[in-house]
Amino acid sequence: MTRYTAVLILLLTAGCASVAPVPAAAQPPVAATQPAPAKPTATPATPASPPTAPRVAATRATATPPAVAPRIPATTPVAVPTATAAPLDLNALEAQLRATRAIGVFTKISLKNQVDDLMKAFREHYGGKATRTMSDLRRSYDLLIMKVLSLLQDHDQMLASAIVSSREAIWGLLSDQTKFANL
Amino acid sequence: MNRHSAALALSLAVLALVAVPSSAQDEEALKKDLTAVIALQGLPCGQVVTAEEKAETDYAVSCTDGNLYRVYLNPAGRVVVEKRK
Repeated sequence: MTRYTAVLILLLTAGCASVAPVPAAAQPPVAATQPAPAKPTATPATPASPPTAPRVAATRATATPPAVAPRIPATTPVAVPTATAAPLDLNALEAQLRATRAIGVFTKISLKNQVDDLMKAFREHYGGKATRTMSDLRRSYDLLIMKVLSLLQDHDQMLASAIVSSREAIWGLLSDQTKFANL
Repeated sequence: MNRHSAALALSLAVLALVAVPSSAQDEEALKKDLTAVIALQGLPCGQVVTAEEKAETDYAVSCTDGNLYRVYLNPAGRVVVEKRK
């Protein structure tokens, strides 16, 4: 009988250990049915670089003021260049967005649809057959970014800050016809 | 042999009990996902209360505000939200 008790305790503890990490998952049932999320696993190397910049920026923004303030402004000039010179790596951002668990699979596909629509609108604009002006496109772009940020900010702050810091750089690519053509 | 069978049965029963919270969390994650999709389309919903899977990537959804939707992935790869009656 003690054997059964031991097995029971073992199973219970093993069960608890496996259940604990599950809450972070946002889309297990649909994930099996969707082909889209399969790609993130193929690009594990790329997302590693960009999050570091926002991470550094974010942690310094929150952590340094109390610790560094009494020292001298000597440390702040070091932090500023890293925050502003965040390199734009669209592929890495895309890979991170695909991989993040903060957004469900259906939501990711829906966002992708909206990104495609916006890209189409830009193509039409540059092709001269569009009714939407550049300011209209800017409004749509801002709205889309806000949607993404609102989905990310509570669950994946690093990616959210990476997108915030890349926001203007991405717009720079979209709003320049020659750069856009090379995307 | 009987002892082994009993142990196995007990183990399965325990595993089944442990698995229940996991599927409940999956269900909540799905509802959250569908809520976000409906909001992204700019449609009123509040929050998704029930999500019944009609087919693969095809859900019948009811919202806290009483709205009913069908949320599915069409062959073109677009997420479509249709109002139901």
